[in-house]
Amino acid sequence: MTGPTNAGGTVPSKDGTALRGGSRATSRLSLRHSTPLIVTGALLVVLFIAALLRSGSMGITGQALLTGIISGGVYSLLAMGLTLVFGVLDIVNFAHGAFLAVGLYITYEVAHQAGLNPYIALPVAILGLFVLGVLIQLLLLNRTMGGTLERQLLITLGLSLLISNVLLLAFGGDPLSANLKSDPGVHVFGAVANLSRVIALGGALVLAVLVFLLLERTSFGRAIRAVAASRQGAGLVGIDVRLVYAVTFGLGTACAGAAGMLIAPFTTITPTAGDQFNILAFVVVVMGGLGNVMGAVISGVIVGLVEQLGGVAIAGQSPLLGVFILFLLILLIRPQGIFGAASS
Amino acid sequence: MRTRSFVKLVAAVGSGAVLLAGCAGGDSGGSSGDAKVIKIGTLHPLSGANAGDGTQLENGVKLGIKAINDAGGIKALGGAKLELDGGDTKGTPDTGQSEAQRLVGDGVVALVGTYQSAVSANVAAVAERNKVPFVMDISGDDAILSHGYKYSFRMQPQNSRFGTTAAQYVKAISEAANRPVTKVAYLHEATAFGTGVYQAFKAEAQKSGLQMGPEITYDAASVSDLTTQIAQVKASGANVLVVSGYYRDGVLAAKAIQTVKPALDAVVGAADGAFDQPQFPTDAGSASQGYFDVNYHFDDKSADAKAFSALYKSTYKDEARTGAALAYDSVRVIAAALEKAGSTDASKVRDAIAQTSLTPLTLSDGPIKFSDKGENSTSLPVLTQVQNGAPVVVYPQSAAVKSPVYPANPGQ
Repeated sequence: MTGPTNAGGTVPSKDGTALRGGSRATSRLSLRHSTPLIVTGALLVVLFIAALLRSGSMGITGQALLTGIISGGVYSLLAMGLTLVFGVLDIVNFAHGAFLAVGLYITYEVAHQAGLNPYIALPVAILGLFVLGVLIQLLLLNRTMGGTLERQLLITLGLSLLISNVLLLAFGGDPLSANLKSDPGVHVFGAVANLSRVIALGGALVLAVLVFLLLERTSFGRAIRAVAASRQGAGLVGIDVRLVYAVTFGLGTACAGAAGMLIAPFTTITPTAGDQFNILAFVVVVMGGLGNVMGAVISGVIVGLVEQLGGVAIAGQSPLLGVFILFLLILLIRPQGIFGAASS
Repeated sequence: MRTRSFVKLVAAVGSGAVLLAGCAGGDSGGSSGDAKVIKIGTLHPLSGANAGDGTQLENGVKLGIKAINDAGGIKALGGAKLELDGGDTKGTPDTGQSEAQRLVGDGVVALVGTYQSAVSANVAAVAERNKVPFVMDISGDDAILSHGYKYSFRMQPQNSRFGTTAAQYVKAISEAANRPVTKVAYLHEATAFGTGVYQAFKAEAQKSGLQMGPEITYDAASVSDLTTQIAQVKASGANVLVVSGYYRDGVLAAKAIQTVKPALDAVVGAADGAFDQPQFPTDAGSASQGYFDVNYHFDDKSADAKAFSALYKSTYKDEARTGAALAYDSVRVIAAALEKAGSTDASKVRDAIAQTSLTPLTLSDGPIKFSDKGENSTSLPVLTQVQNGAPVVVYPQSAAVKSPVYPANPGQ
């Protein structure tokens, strides 16, 4: 019923455009598309100088720089899973923040029930969320593949409500924590960051490289890219499209689970803790070009930097003001994102 | 075929939601036809980001209703029993408004709520339009009662009073310790709550000669790191930091202060949602030591308040927060008004609430007494400090159970 032939046949025009974005998704960054990146880099330099002039202190600006890179790493990890799922499955996953919250609670359980170091929860969170994602794709979303975009959008929205309310039922609404026994500051050129945050950045980078290698250097990664390019063609050459869909969605949720674990030591754990990242993760995904995994990784860091430097440069406002100004500019001038394909 | 299975799915999810709603509303079912039952409507965030605090408030109301009923109900009305008619605001103003409308339609005699000022502002308008008394347990924004409403009353001190008293208390305890304030840095969340408290603090500080340093703002809904903001505090050379925010960001601030280590004599919350909470020392660890907060608080010396805390703990297996006591007192205010009016007529109940005189479980300058605007004029913000892993009242002396440690050297 939901076979590739039928799916491809029902919405050929929409599929065509989305898939071209999708194939871009997983291909390497090419230098030909680097002009917008240079412009964005120049904007960051301007913002850095503005922050320096406004605060009059290298200490504050350096701190904003370090904090921006570190919080940007977490945005990258989250957005990576989101954009992977969009690029390959064409699903706008509104439940991504809820999956992150599941990762937080898995970490809490490991740290408190078992009394272990929270980082032991990392493989548990990745594996648990991977299995959860595969099951959701196989049992729920697979029936709607190739259908209209809003159908899956509504299902993931419903899933996010379901997950956060199940967490509320099981754990209550009161804040919980999974702190490290000791979380000293790490000093970098006069700026300082908690050890747990530095580990989160390192973890995010390692996982980004792993996902990149999986997509670019393994035969299964090639199958994923093939399905993203054309599900019909991939099916014809003998790739199990259903399996690729399930594993890709699992990879996406596993990214959210890993992000949840990595931020758990410095985050207040509540059932709705993931929601605060939802909007920013979508901003990052659109900036990086829908479906572009490496674009999402770099955009995450850009958003983190703009948030922190902008917060210093435009004092007395929400630090997100700078992020949304940049986002609006990108939507107006380059709607396909900084690393998106040239418009057709 | 696929469409049909999708419809089935929606139907399944939908019926699940109805079932859940049925469970949530379970308390309100039953004998509405009985003339001897008086309904009290509650509006609290029982789901969403503030579900933890919303549940505390709802539990406070439940204990209040139980206490009145166990003592024989409303005697002036033939021993009529109180009954809870609960509504979940989900933390959003429009849901709060529609739930308020529903409860009014249900025939509740009064409303209690809502924890969030934006929600209370809408509910107060509904209450005024329908002439149903509305008692706010928690909701600080001054603006809610600035429209001349007749049917809305507020138990907690309004936000501006927290700002003003915070400035007075900071000056008093720093001078008592012979450790004058050189400069005050202020960190607050960027909406009406944080900005309102900041402005009241600044006005009082200028009057009393406290030197103000930088004002640093952040977005409470999205913030995940306050290290840069605390670096700004450090660079400003201030020796006192005042913070107005919510729970999650308060913990972030404490952790950032421990990491950046600015040379501060004290961190003082002004109506901060974290620094006076019993679980704050657990979540922030050693970073919480010595933190001050100016907020409403249990009257630790009152036997009634102690009994309430013990009852709450045995009933709900959780520490009661001060908000639960404010919700409990809200029910007592309504019950006393019913007793005094001898009627469930809304305007008579409203007039009786306006003349309330009742000793609260929270620290105060005497029995609850509402001003013409509906503000509880005897409510008293007090200064707490985290000492040995628990927040205790340290100022003013009349309410204090321990003396303040100043300078507190937070985050060292």
